[in-house]
Order: sequence, then C-alpha cells, then structure tokens
Amino acid sequence: MSLHTPHIDWFGLAPVFALVGTSFVALLCAVLVPRAVRRIAAASVAIAGFTAGIVLAIWLYVDSANGHTIVSGAFYRDRWTALGQIILCGIGLATTLLAVEHVPGWGRNADPARRDDHVAEFFALLLASAAGMVFFVGAANLMTLFLSLEWFSIALYVMCAIDYDLESSLEAGLKYLIVGSFGAGALLFGSALVYGATGKISFHGIAAAAASQGLTGDTFVVVGIALIVAGLGFKMSAAPFHMWTPDVYEGAPTTVTAWMSSATKVAALLLTFRLMTTAFAGDQHLWGWAFAIVATASLAIGNFAALVQRNVKRILAYSSISHAGFMLIGLSAGSALGGRALMYYLIPYSAMAFGSFAVVAARERELGVPVTLDNLAGFGWERPFLGVAMWFFMFGFAGLPLGGGFVGKFYVFAAAYQHGWVWLVIVGVLATLVSLYYYLGIVRAMYMRPAAELALAGGSPPRERLLQLTVGAALVVSFGSLFAVQPLIDLARHAASSLPL
Amino acid sequence: MAGPDVAWYVAVAAALFGIGALGVLIRRNTLVVLLSLELMLNAGNLALIALSRHFHNGAGQIFALAVMAVAASEVCVGLGLVVALNRRELSLDVDTLSELKG
Repeated sequence: MSLHTPHIDWFGLAPVFALVGTSFVALLCAVLVPRAVRRIAAASVAIAGFTAGIVLAIWLYVDSANGHTIVSGAFYRDRWTALGQIILCGIGLATTLLAVEHVPGWGRNADPARRDDHVAEFFALLLASAAGMVFFVGAANLMTLFLSLEWFSIALYVMCAIDYDLESSLEAGLKYLIVGSFGAGALLFGSALVYGATGKISFHGIAAAAASQGLTGDTFVVVGIALIVAGLGFKMSAAPFHMWTPDVYEGAPTTVTAWMSSATKVAALLLTFRLMTTAFAGDQHLWGWAFAIVATASLAIGNFAALVQRNVKRILAYSSISHAGFMLIGLSAGSALGGRALMYYLIPYSAMAFGSFAVVAARERELGVPVTLDNLAGFGWERPFLGVAMWFFMFGFAGLPLGGGFVGKFYVFAAAYQHGWVWLVIVGVLATLVSLYYYLGIVRAMYMRPAAELALAGGSPPRERLLQLTVGAALVVSFGSLFAVQPLIDLARHAASSLPL
Repeated sequence: MAGPDVAWYVAVAAALFGIGALGVLIRRNTLVVLLSLELMLNAGNLALIALSRHFHNGAGQIFALAVMAVAASEVCVGLGLVVALNRRELSLDVDTLSELKG
C-alpha cells in the first residue's frame, strides 16, 4: 500500500507558518530569556512575526491573481485570503505595540515585580491566535474551517483569562469558553449534516453536489446551514448570539479586548461571506434572509442596549454588535458589491475598534478602575491627542463623514439597495441615528463636563509612546480610508473577484 | 456486514446533540456544562463517522479524529480555568459567577 501525500504549496501557507514559528519562539522566550529583557525579547519576536506575515501576505496578494485551492483543496490561495491576512497581521502588529506598555497577565493590584512573569506567554498566544485567524480566512473545507476556528478560539479563551489575579478576567475566559464552544458544537453538527446531505466537505464539492443532486432546500442542508450560521454568529458577535460579548469584552484585559473586537470580526465575517457564496450559493434566498434578520436584530439590540450603559467597554461592546449588523447587511446581499462593501468596511472598522479600546486602556491605567462615562470626564483635556483620536473614532463609528466608516456604511447600504432591500437600508439608517446618541455621549463625557465633575487623574500623564503610536496609526487608517477610498475599493474588488459571484 | 441504516446513527447523534445543548443551557455546575459541551462535539463526531461509512469516503473519519484532538484541548483549557477559579475559592456554580452582569 502506498501513501499518497498531497502536493503542498508551502509559499501559499507562508503567513501562517511565519506566525506559528514566531509563536513557538516567543514561547521559548518565556523559559530561556531572563526576566529583565523578556518583555522586549518576546515583543520583538511578535513584531518580527507580524511584519513577516504582512510582507508575505502582500506578496501572496500580488502573486495570486488566479485564485485556487492548495493542499488537496484544503486552503484557498487567492486575494480574498491575502487581503484578510494583511488586515489581520496589521491589527496583530498594533496589538503587539500596545501590549508592550499594556501587557495583560498581571492584575491591576498585583505585585509589580511579578508583572513580567507571563509576558512571553501572552505574545505567544497572540501570535498563535493570529495564525489561527490567518488560516481561518483561507479555509476551503469544513474541516479546516472548524479546526482553525477552534485554533484561534482556544488561544483567545486563554488570553481573556490571562489576568488571572482578577476574578473578572477568569470569569470572562470561562464565559467565552462555554459560549464559544457551544457555537463550535453547533458549527460542527451543522457541518456533519451538510456532509450527510452532500458527501463532501470542501466548499466547491458541496456546491457541485448540491447543484448536481438538486439539494437546494434539502432538509439536512437547510438545518446544517442554520447551525453553521449560528456557530459563526457567535464568533462575529451578532445578535441573537451576542450575549457573551459585553461581559467578555468588559472582563478581558483591555489589550485583549482590542485584539478580539477587531480581528475576530474580520476573520469571522470574511470566512462567512466566502463560505456562503461558495458552498451554499444555491440556497442564497435562505441565508440571505437569515442574515438580513440577524443584521436587523444586531442593529436593534446593539444600539438600544448601548444607550443605557455607563461602562465604556460595555458601550463599545454593544457598538461592536451593532457594527456586526451593518457588515451583515453587506453579507446578506451576497453580491459582488456586498463582498466589496464588507471588505472595505472592515478596514476602518477594525482601526476604529482597536483605537478606541487602546484609548480606554490608557484611561484605565491612569485611574486603576474600570472606565465609565463618569470618570471619563476631563480626559479629553488631560490627554489632548488621545481625546481627539477618540473623538474621531466615535464620529467614524457613528458614520459621520470623518472617516472610512461613512463610506463603509454607504457601500453596505448600496449593496442592500441593489439587492432590492430598501427596508434594510431604512433599518440601517435608523440604527445610525440611534447610535449617534451614545457615541456623542462619550465625546460629551470627555470634554463637556462642568469643572466640579471632572475626574482628573492628576500628575503629568504617562508617556506611553507606543500606545500613542498605535492610536495614531489607527487614526491614520480610519481617517485615511476616507481619502483612499478608490485604491482600497479596488483592492477589495480584486479580492472579491476571487469569489464565485 | 450490514449494520442499522445510517439514519439511525444520525438520529442518535441528533439526540446527543440536543441533550448536550440542553445541558449547557440549563445545568449550573461548570463541570457538568463542560461535560455537556463534550457531548455536543461528540454528537458531531458520531454523525461524521456514520456518514463517512455510508459514503465510503474517509473525509468524515479524518474530520472526527481532528475534532477529538480539538475537543481535548478545549476541555483542557476549561478545566484549567475551573482549577484557577477553585483555587481562589470561588464557587463553580455559573449563576454565582456574576461579577460581570450580562
């Protein structure tokens, strides 16, 4: 009996290997590098890994004009994958820089002498979760999809709980683990049902079998799609699968929240769009409606629940739920325009989500307590740069033309309109109006408070150069994506053209 | 060797999945919740293996093997968190874990 091994296109997997390799090196730093330089050593390894990931992904983007699957049809080497990988590695790089000054892994009250104990493990986990996401966006069959989903999820569960001196961090980790695994279980069973109907696990194979055997609307396939949508819905934190989001975002260390809120969403939405349009193109009328309803629910729940929150991390968590709704509008259209809109939207969104959590991290460090609308008072005057940045992020989130968020919203609405769903556009516009209240509420809390209510941190503000650098970079991306609309849309168009639309 | 029809296996798997999902939703003890999560994943495994035999292709079996490894690492992290909570003498009842109000 001879063993046939598939041909492996190593270069197509290069960004994944770069991140996995550096993850191992970062883990070795935990035991081999003396504590005094451990933070710098592990962070340098992470920076090298993410930079290599970006460079390789750009190279792949240029070199993969003709998208195809590699490793026996297990992974896509195309521009949709490559552009997603560039975005993910960019967020990872920013997270690394933020984490140098805001390393999780030590409680706010913990002994400062112990705070570098687990710093290398944190960077190793960050790289490992990034590797999982970078693999996830290119997954080409249900097995690689499930494996890479669990790959990055398990790393994220540990990252949420890494501040284990704090009860809230442990609790966030356990909650995320239970809810995330529930979603993964649903996804797995849905995959099994789709396999049962079609006998195939590759996206192309499922589409071909469904078309040739007339399986459109088959019970197994429909129930399978529903379970898969639920499983992925948990990851993109879309309502009604969102209940974990505010708790986990609040409890997890803010650096981890910044990474999760931006990167997980990028990975989950890009993969979902590819899965739906590639494997289940025949059932588009079903999943299109399903996602339109999920989008409406996310917009309603995200925006209305945010109105009553006082904790800034919870407000931003609900904002992230509502933005999942906006992006799902583009996804539900299931068209080339929808794909382009989704891809474009993710760029300013991830910059704004990351940047706003980084600003919250700075305030949290100053005060040593969770950031609320009350103790945000005066922050804009004390830290002018971070205040202005937050101001831009909030306006960008709200969809005012002060950043790419405006164009992103415009594009997803255009996709829904082209699909003939005017009602969905109206829902989106109403949600935008509601969201103005709490986004402006944060700006108001930072600047417009009477002197008696100011909660000043006092002293000279910490230098935090790297934090300011990452916030600045996020600002440049979110603001710049408004001016660089055309090049970015072109990139997104090339990426979406690798999908069978 | 002809066993029962594949539909029976899928029915048992669906029942297991339902029991697991119900367990996660209504049981309060974290360990039982983790157990129920395993049940959900294994329901998927059973369906995959039965269907793999039905189709005479190996995809489902390989998928199931990979899922077992993933399920083990997941429960590993889960039990690690349970131990960490337990060391702090916190309750394992998920209802009392409410520092974060959902």
